[in-house]
Amino acid sequence: MQRRVVVTGLGVVSSIGIGKETFWKNLISGKSGISEVTSFDTSKYEVHRGGEIRFFDPTDYIPRKKIKGIARASQFAIAASKLALDDAVLSKEVISKGNTTVAIGTTMGEGGMIEEIDRHWSKRGEDDVWGITISKYPCNAISDNVTRALGTKGTSCVVPTACAAGNYSIGFGFDMIRQGVADRALVGGADPFSRIGFTGFGRLYAMSPDVCRPFDKNRKGMMVGEGAGILLLEELESAKARGATIYAEVLGYGLSCDAQHMTAPQVVGITKVIERAIKISGVNKADVSYICAHGTGTPANDKTECEAIKTVFGEATSKISISSIKSMLGHTMGAASAIEAIACCLAVKNGIVPPTINFEEADPVCDIDCVPNKAKEKQVKVALNNSLAFGGNNACVVLKGYV
Amino acid sequence: MDREAGGEGETITGTVPSERSERVDCPIGKYMNKRIVITGIGVLASTGIGKEAFWGALKEGTSGMKPVTLFDTSNLGSHLAGEISDFDPKEILGNKGLRNLDRTTLLVLCASKLALDDAKIEAPISEEDTDYFGVSLGSTMGSVWSISEFDKTALREGPRAVNPALFPNTVINSPASQISIKFNIQGFNTTISTGFCSGIDSIYYAMNMINLYEYNTVLSGGVEELCEQTYKGFHKIGNLSGSKAGNEEINCPFDKRRNGLMFGEGGSIFILEELEHAKARNAHIYGEILGYGTSFDPKSNNICSPKAEGATEAIKLALEDAETSPEEIDYIAATANSTLDCDIMETRAVKNALGKKTEGIPISSIKSMIGETFSASGAMNLAGSLCSLQENLLLPTINYEKRDRRCDLDYVSNEAREAKINKVLVNSFSPTGANSALVIGRYE
Repeated sequence: MQRRVVVTGLGVVSSIGIGKETFWKNLISGKSGISEVTSFDTSKYEVHRGGEIRFFDPTDYIPRKKIKGIARASQFAIAASKLALDDAVLSKEVISKGNTTVAIGTTMGEGGMIEEIDRHWSKRGEDDVWGITISKYPCNAISDNVTRALGTKGTSCVVPTACAAGNYSIGFGFDMIRQGVADRALVGGADPFSRIGFTGFGRLYAMSPDVCRPFDKNRKGMMVGEGAGILLLEELESAKARGATIYAEVLGYGLSCDAQHMTAPQVVGITKVIERAIKISGVNKADVSYICAHGTGTPANDKTECEAIKTVFGEATSKISISSIKSMLGHTMGAASAIEAIACCLAVKNGIVPPTINFEEADPVCDIDCVPNKAKEKQVKVALNNSLAFGGNNACVVLKGYV
Repeated sequence: MDREAGGEGETITGTVPSERSERVDCPIGKYMNKRIVITGIGVLASTGIGKEAFWGALKEGTSGMKPVTLFDTSNLGSHLAGEISDFDPKEILGNKGLRNLDRTTLLVLCASKLALDDAKIEAPISEEDTDYFGVSLGSTMGSVWSISEFDKTALREGPRAVNPALFPNTVINSPASQISIKFNIQGFNTTISTGFCSGIDSIYYAMNMINLYEYNTVLSGGVEELCEQTYKGFHKIGNLSGSKAGNEEINCPFDKRRNGLMFGEGGSIFILEELEHAKARNAHIYGEILGYGTSFDPKSNNICSPKAEGATEAIKLALEDAETSPEEIDYIAATANSTLDCDIMETRAVKNALGKKTEGIPISSIKSMIGETFSASGAMNLAGSLCSLQENLLLPTINYEKRDRRCDLDYVSNEAREAKINKVLVNSFSPTGANSALVIGRYE
């Protein structure tokens, strides 16, 4: 008997809202989460803005006395996981029975711990070493902390495949459920605002100084963001049996690796990953009506991604809405494709596609329907969630409305 | 690929379909029971570079522990580690394109090259084969050194002073990605992080990809560099042998005198292949992966749970998956790393999972020779186990002198022993919660 996998719970921690409701309301009204960076001094940098989360209080999700041992990526992930469980109307008691996979993607993991160590190091000299801080760094801490907080039993891992990590994790959970290894899976991604990331993208001149305007002719780059997105995946029959709200069905995913360059995206690899995702999922190309783009807002990414999409869909590309929610959130790194998958689920469920904000002037190399500035009502049968990461690691997840 | 039902006409002959677009992966919901074998081994450790040297040192019971030269340890209580002091990546990779790569990446590239060579697979991978070939690497920290140095440069000299070419090294999947770039592996590229179990868990990921999709070959294993930040951090929290005042620096798993782990470094990489694919190209088969089990233990929260519930469950699940009874296990490759909690937990887990009758099964820890290689350790254990399988040899636990009554199994003390070995249980447990185990067997 074929095991089908559906999404029944969504948890978001983002700069435009914590929790599915606020996130979606702000997403479809085109609200920006970009502001002046406050988590560190940016006076020596050329740009000063990013997508930091302002109103996150970890004590809403984690007992006060445990917070000291849990760093920010894990805090986000725990919060988003609890929100996803609440959304799925599943108690901790239920989730701790049966087999639940936890797979969480990240780019920098608890890189903030290294940053903290470095700060001390550069202030006080080489020999000051940092007790417990390093033990919070290894990135498996994220899934360990979530698993411990929720009491789940089952495979628990972090998939740190950079900016495509959320999709990789969704794929992992999907495979666990459809094989019958797991009954449920908490999957997604988490990344805190990273000074190292900010430094690196700044030095690559890849960051926009003001706003992120994907697909626009005058786009100036990406913006660093932070957040977490967690999806609760469940086997269809068990979801139906308990009367769960089903957002979408996960039909499959594709992976590919450019194997060319650490930072420059390649048309061939992106084309391959979309083709593969479509083939594995067994959907008709004609049924794809929304693509949540990787759409970072850098000149190279958007051009390459559009070219790949056009290669796959040809003339039919014009019928597909292709938006980038990074225009609102900035690039939330390992969380990005997870939050974008959540956007896909809600688009499919609600018949509305989120906009690409800050769009002013069309770019002939990005001649797609990027849903400029205003959300659009549209019945979405099948949505693709694109993600393209450092190292040429591409992943594409296919989601379909469940009727 | 569902080769019967797929109807795409691709037979398993090692030939590759001429039309790439004909690639058809396993239909959703159809779990294939393909057999997965190991056809290539590439390993670098403090005791030897390359399979032959590594195995030779394990058989001899050679210790790779030596004074650390990569950074200054003079202000610490610990000075030893399993450093690869004679590591020259150019000898294995040639001179080109290595300039901006960090130690973690160089270690894993070298291990990968050795594994590909050992499997007689020509690299870079050809355009026909590359879509069927993937990478699954266990790494939990990436290169801490890279991340920290990049950040410190920005702090000291300002954000404009950093070298942009070094930025990609700061992401955790950078070492894995460089494998794909170096050897043209395009099928997929995944990094798995589960702490000390990462090496074994990355192999499980690879098994899944072969089982569920049309990938026929995956390069998989683990890597860890010896790094100042990690060394000093672990020293500070008292995890290293010698880090507490008055303690002798000694690396002696299961021995009562133990007082902490000794770090090691290295890379251990395997070529995993779907059996029919391996046979079609007449590959040498070192062994077959029979089963895997994993269980998270919430009670292991930086210290291994003394009740060993998770570790016990992981072993049981692996045996079940391998359809193997405890009596069939001839040897156990231990995870024990000379820390009290880990040695005791493992001993208890083995007893709990295998039962009283099987307490005679020899179990030994090669970490006594190569040190705790963290994300690579499970894969190192697998590399050692394949030696056991090839040569019918139980590898020793060296530095074993003083019996601990809580650790009362047969630890193959100090000298290798001959024994008929058909099936090996490979343990990999992490003090942070994850526990995984693999069962491998002679290919017949």
